[in-house]
Amino acid sequence: MLVALALAAIGAVAGSLGALLGIGGGVIIVPALSELYGVPFRHAVAASLVVIVASSSASSAAYVERGAANVRVGVVLELATVAGALLGSGVAGLAPVPVLKLLFALVALYSAVMLWVGRRDASDSSDASAQAVHGWAPGLAMSAVAGAISGLLGVGGGLFKMPGMTLAMGIPFKVAAATSNFMIGVTAAAGAYVYFARGELDPQLAAPLVVGVFAGAMLGSSLLPRFPARKLQGAFAMLLVFLGGQMIWNVLGVPR
Amino acid sequence: MNRAVARALWAGTLTGVGLCAAATLARALELAVAPRLAQLGVLALFVTPPLRLAVVASAFWREGSRRHAAAALAVLTALLATAAKAALR
Repeated sequence: MLVALALAAIGAVAGSLGALLGIGGGVIIVPALSELYGVPFRHAVAASLVVIVASSSASSAAYVERGAANVRVGVVLELATVAGALLGSGVAGLAPVPVLKLLFALVALYSAVMLWVGRRDASDSSDASAQAVHGWAPGLAMSAVAGAISGLLGVGGGLFKMPGMTLAMGIPFKVAAATSNFMIGVTAAAGAYVYFARGELDPQLAAPLVVGVFAGAMLGSSLLPRFPARKLQGAFAMLLVFLGGQMIWNVLGVPR
Repeated sequence: MNRAVARALWAGTLTGVGLCAAATLARALELAVAPRLAQLGVLALFVTPPLRLAVVASAFWREGSRRHAAAALAVLTALLATAAKAALR
């Protein structure tokens, strides 16, 4: 009972942060499961991908209903994210786990830097139709990378899509967050199918996380209009530095 | 379109989350049905993205936005092919 509650609590934290920041929450779930609970890394990644499907579906339903997500942009970028996710999840089955963990940490640190640098330009505009979208080539390239990272590491890929959409394509932060959430479920599902085929998905591990993340995502998407974009990006950048640093610390076996 | 997409997302999500909540409760009560409920919950969540893509593709097609409909259909085909491959293993 306590384990199920703890898993649900991890899901709730990941779900609310995911909805607020346009990410799937996997960057919290994977280290929490693998480092705190000792779950095998690939099983943690698989559970995280299922949770991301739930998180994205719940929060993006709310965004789409309000017209906050740019569905046209999302559908085109999904072509790249799904191709990347299929490649990434296939490679994940072959790569050594310490390499995957180090890559995870590097991705978290990279994302922290991108969010910290980008927060000065963060716009609080939430009009999904008003902005002029440009920079499709870098946007698609970043989306393919996001998909590959998602399949490899069990994150939503929003950490890569967000800079691609805000910095390269000129989409306002909150519209990009809503659109990213809209895309994340499809990207994560593509990767999750591959992990399922390899027998690395434990539904009993995923179920309590899903329940927690659903509650968290509902809370996060209702709070989004009230939070300033700059502060959100800055706070999350600091959290990523902590999580990435801790994972490198553990992989390299630095004595405590 | 937004309303139809949101409905598809809600239907899949609420079914999946409901089954996962039932599985969590059943696990806490040590009921034998817990693993099956968890499997069904994950299955419902797995079905949601393809369902959403089908709704989006259909809506774009009706709007006359053929390029966006084709993009959604291409993604849907890739997902279904991967899911079928996974189910057959």
